[in-house]
Amino acid sequence: MTAAVIPAAEFAYLAELLRRESSIVLGADKEYLVQARLLPLARKVGAGNVGELLTQVRLRSDRATIQSIVDAMTTNETSWFRDNEPFAALHSTVLPALLAARSAQRHLRVWSAACSSGQETYSLAITLQEFLPTGWTYEILATDISGDMVARAQTGQYSQIEVNRGLPARMLVHYFTRSGAHWEVAPALRRHVQFQRLNLVAPPPPTAPFDVVFLRNVLIYFDIATKKTVLRHVARLMRPDAWLFLGAAESTIGVDDSFRRTPAGRTFAYQLNLAKPPEKG
Amino acid sequence: MRALIVDDSRTMRRIVRRIVEGCGFEAVEAGDGQAALDAIGAMDRPPDLALVDWNMPVMDGLEFVSRARAQPALRAMTIVMVTTESEQSQIVRALAAGAHEYVIKPFTADSMIDKLALLGLVPNGASL
Amino acid sequence: MSGIADSTLEPSDIDLKEIVDQVWESYLDPDGTAPLVLTGTVPEKFDATGSISITGPWHGHVVVATSLGAATGAAAAFLAMEPDEVSEEDVADALGELVNIIGGNVKSMLPPGCLLALPHVVVATGAVSRWPGATRICELCGQWRGEPVCISLWHEKREG
Repeated sequence: MTAAVIPAAEFAYLAELLRRESSIVLGADKEYLVQARLLPLARKVGAGNVGELLTQVRLRSDRATIQSIVDAMTTNETSWFRDNEPFAALHSTVLPALLAARSAQRHLRVWSAACSSGQETYSLAITLQEFLPTGWTYEILATDISGDMVARAQTGQYSQIEVNRGLPARMLVHYFTRSGAHWEVAPALRRHVQFQRLNLVAPPPPTAPFDVVFLRNVLIYFDIATKKTVLRHVARLMRPDAWLFLGAAESTIGVDDSFRRTPAGRTFAYQLNLAKPPEKG
Repeated sequence: MRALIVDDSRTMRRIVRRIVEGCGFEAVEAGDGQAALDAIGAMDRPPDLALVDWNMPVMDGLEFVSRARAQPALRAMTIVMVTTESEQSQIVRALAAGAHEYVIKPFTADSMIDKLALLGLVPNGASL
Repeated sequence: MSGIADSTLEPSDIDLKEIVDQVWESYLDPDGTAPLVLTGTVPEKFDATGSISITGPWHGHVVVATSLGAATGAAAAFLAMEPDEVSEEDVADALGELVNIIGGNVKSMLPPGCLLALPHVVVATGAVSRWPGATRICELCGQWRGEPVCISLWHEKREG
């Protein structure tokens, strides 16, 4: 099977499908990504190529295949520095602001709220490790609804294929050690991270508030009422000037007006609308 | 954009070619380091990207990287090692010799694209 | 820790399986529909073997032995072609690359300073690669798309 060019009509159909189903905008320059993500699915359903797959789905409107296409196009949680922009924004905008605001405490608390297999969490740890000046400390709470995922992330072990995904080689050799057939996150990072199983829909257990929250690609799976509940819980655990990062297809707009959208680097983050000035200390 | 694929296995050259062509590169192949240097010498302009295996007959990939790095005309060429050499010390050696990134075999198309995105050679897969 | 015995530092069946699974996931079974099913049964003869030697502080060989059907299927999967489009040269090259990838990953678990040679492929019914004095330290044998595949690791004791 070869990567035949996707006809314009089918590409437009896919772009519309993704916009409708996941609010993701598919750029015209992303055909390579569509090929890479959908070719395995095309094979699985017996379509000759990605164009044929899309034609079939467009004509039949088969719900299961539509869902598989959306999942294949949007699921990418095993990448390091996934989507890159939030981490770049952390580096360029958020951490400099927090460095100024927390100069007395010299300590940052970060929440990786849907840590999955841990790549986001350790990517955050690497970013903080490289950015924070000497004398500063940080801690990361990593949570996930899946106990299996929490246990998996906690091991800090990744296969060869997993470390190939978006992790710069310089960081691989600096923050990981080879252990048998896989790679293990260095203790220098692991000692800053605590893992815990947590359902975002349930009222959160009492904990000190966070300076940065990553809650990415979670809200897309919830209905509006559940989105509201989750955002309410998250807001309660944010310091008044904390930063919330959501997935590219997600927003608080129209869900919870206690947040405002703030430009951060080349992307957006969300901060609390405060009736009162930021608390002291 | 032009990519030079340097690997003694034509199977692997074909796999890499499929991926980089999907990303919009024009692909040129060479079977070892020396053949790669010769191919570059015969080009009107140097490749933007070289994807280089390590273990090859005639001239290995590490030697190719050192030689390429010594040529001022190739300064803008991004070099990615694509190899089964996967010890930490080997990755360090390749980076020190002047490789920009390192892809360990076996790799998936997605992971190769991720690395090219890191290097700014394809648009970030981010927002799709 | 993965199953590396402290004293020998040699890869175990578990390590070899982890490497092989990654190769299958990347090239031979990206959809997860055609895994290598381990049966432990070693067929009487193979049609093709690919081998690669590791030299240095540890000396040995990685061998992939298959039927012609499996080798052709592997070449087709690597090249994204139909099995009947694959040439004999494609089969030899693909088998060489397969054993090269497994060999490199095996080497990363061995004592530092080892070198990986270039792969060697023999396509001939009944052909077996043997090294007098070498001992097999792990072996995975099974079926892939109904065709036999065996991957083994051999250690050769060398004086001096």
